[in-house]
Amino acid sequence: MSTPAAPAPAVAARGVEKWYGPLPAVRGIDFALAAGEFLTVFGPNGAGKTTLLRMLCGAVKPTRGTVLVGGGDVAENEGARRRIGLLSHQTFLYPGLSAEENLDFYARLYGLPRRRERVQEALVDAGLQDRRGDRVRTFSRGMQQRLALARTLLHRPSLVLLDEPYTGLDPHAAARLREVLERLKDGRTTVVLVTHNLSQGLEQADRVAVQVAGRWVSDEPRAAVDAAAFERVYTERVGAAA
Amino acid sequence: METTTASPPAGYVPSGVGSSSDSLAGTRRWAVVLGLLAVATVLAGLYMVFFYAPTEATMGIVQRIFYVHVPSAWTAFMAFGVVALCSAGYLWLRDPRLDAIAVSAAELGVVFTTIVLLTGPLWGKIAWGAWWVWEPRLTLTLLLWFIYVGYFMVRGATENPERGKRFAAIVGVVGAVDMPLIHMSVQWWRSQHPQAVILRPEGAQADPAIVQTVLVWVLGFTLLFFSLLLFRYAMERLSQRAHALRVAH
Amino acid sequence: MSAVAAGPREPSLDVHASPADAAEAWDDAEAAGGAPFLAQVWAVARKDLLLEARSRERLLSMGTFAVLVAIVFSFAVDPAVRARSIAGAMIWVTVLFAGTLGLGRSFALEREAEALTGVLLAPVDRGALFLGKWLANMAIVLAVEALVFPVFALFFNLAFQGSLPALAAVVVLATVGFMALGTLFGAIAAHTRLGETLLPILLLPLLAPVVIFACAATQRLLVGRPVSDVVSQLKMLGAFDLVFLFVCTAVFGAVLEE
Repeated sequence: MSTPAAPAPAVAARGVEKWYGPLPAVRGIDFALAAGEFLTVFGPNGAGKTTLLRMLCGAVKPTRGTVLVGGGDVAENEGARRRIGLLSHQTFLYPGLSAEENLDFYARLYGLPRRRERVQEALVDAGLQDRRGDRVRTFSRGMQQRLALARTLLHRPSLVLLDEPYTGLDPHAAARLREVLERLKDGRTTVVLVTHNLSQGLEQADRVAVQVAGRWVSDEPRAAVDAAAFERVYTERVGAAA
Repeated sequence: METTTASPPAGYVPSGVGSSSDSLAGTRRWAVVLGLLAVATVLAGLYMVFFYAPTEATMGIVQRIFYVHVPSAWTAFMAFGVVALCSAGYLWLRDPRLDAIAVSAAELGVVFTTIVLLTGPLWGKIAWGAWWVWEPRLTLTLLLWFIYVGYFMVRGATENPERGKRFAAIVGVVGAVDMPLIHMSVQWWRSQHPQAVILRPEGAQADPAIVQTVLVWVLGFTLLFFSLLLFRYAMERLSQRAHALRVAH
Repeated sequence: MSAVAAGPREPSLDVHASPADAAEAWDDAEAAGGAPFLAQVWAVARKDLLLEARSRERLLSMGTFAVLVAIVFSFAVDPAVRARSIAGAMIWVTVLFAGTLGLGRSFALEREAEALTGVLLAPVDRGALFLGKWLANMAIVLAVEALVFPVFALFFNLAFQGSLPALAAVVVLATVGFMALGTLFGAIAAHTRLGETLLPILLLPLLAPVVIFACAATQRLLVGRPVSDVVSQLKMLGAFDLVFLFVCTAVFGAVLEE
């Protein structure tokens, strides 16, 4: 994948739609993010936010339109998928394997060099070094989330997608997550965060979008959004468009 | 970032109201024409069975069941061929029309396969005294029946109906690929054992009158199959559209 | 992906970041998608085998089931019948049902915590995913077969007179085809409401050739017939295997799509 003369957007969605048979989940979304941008997408349940994220990472093929990551079509191009990490409310971890074995498996799938070291570093970073041999089944929700996050970031993706990551976290775990999100704002990593929690979602955002019934009803820079007013307006918009 | 109203993928909703409803009307017209031809052919066949073809020497009147048995078998396997081709096409192109043809052919196919499996033993019992014989072609038909059953079970058992169609298409394709292998294995299997019963439906000598009658029936059943296929296809397409319209509101 | 826009900031996410790490991060990003095909196959197979080694649940349930079926056969078969003449049949019926039992579990494991989605996100070739699971299933079922044959020999007092390598070839070839179709339909069944109950209905008609040739070959070898008598069956099993390894690998991606 050659680097174009003008920097290509880190991620771009062009006319992306997803239909399950005759049922629409995403009805047409267009946007482009530059490298290092942090986008938060708000929306009620059933708006298709998860489907959008799944299409951004290539787990789901769009019915129409394309998703380009780093200039490469993510549905066709396996190389493009290599740069993406997804954190969902499901951990994508094998409960029957240990923390170390889970990370080792993903490291092998991605073909990461210095596999053993990378896995150890990730475990230390997640604060799970002393539980590395224990089965994930024995972990608390917060620990599983930390390990899932380690799995997401293991291959150092340049596009990180987070699907309602605060769900089910106690305040301590939520604080830890917030730290990680802060660290992701390093100018190189592009982030798309999906949430329905207004205050948490606005914290790191550079850009704010609202998705309702498969479409975006607003897309603004964070600077243009007043947190207090936003909540009121959000409730209005979600109510109006529903 | 509002986008223009999006519409379901091609094939689910008519692109132009006039054109597509015409195409279904065209389909139905053909179905009627073929149906009439089929009825005419079958009537001719009936005449031939009772007044033209001779009574077979060794097996007697009962042998006439075979005029239904053999054409049904031909139609059952041809139907599966249609299922297999359309399934492969559907997996490749994802056009719902291909799936509509496949499911219509499968429904007809299972009916004709059932007819084969009912007429075979019926004849067998009367002619040979045995309800069931493991004759290679009959065995193959029995397995085909179960593959059809698998096709329908898998199609209806998913949360997402689109996935069910894809799974069924896989069963169709894998089943079709397996057919020659099953046929060879069953042939080999029977060749290892002395044939207690030899099924020679065409009789000791292939009397031309008998052969002609069979061919007329085969033609009749083929026309009937395609006629019913077109009717069923039109029904399936209408139901797809009704579903699409219902969920759009 | 613009290298230009990064600027002077450290592009690393680790606490223990270093310039070396930063440089490597870029190398990672530019590297071709994922590990080589065979490495991915092995990663998937290894993971499944690790899971099985941990819990041994499939081996235990399949093995216990197989022994119980052998016991049932012992009760069911009339003592006047020479068990030797139906041994091949009994063994393969047992293997068929015990093998099918474990297949559902192979994919049920992927659905816990939606692990499969995580795997699909990685640049993993769908064919590699299929072959990895197929390999793991093969290993597990071969282990069960290694139990079934001696158990039947014990219960029915069977003295094996033929060529053991030939028997091994029959068992391996039959299992390859069995597991190819089994892995494919196991994945399908896991995504339906009926789940594992659907599996025998889908598999048994399609496995008729495997049953026919494996039983015949096993029976012949058992009574001491020469290897030349089973060559045709071995060839047919081999043909079946080649055809379905190819078809199932090709079609597997369509099963996993949302």
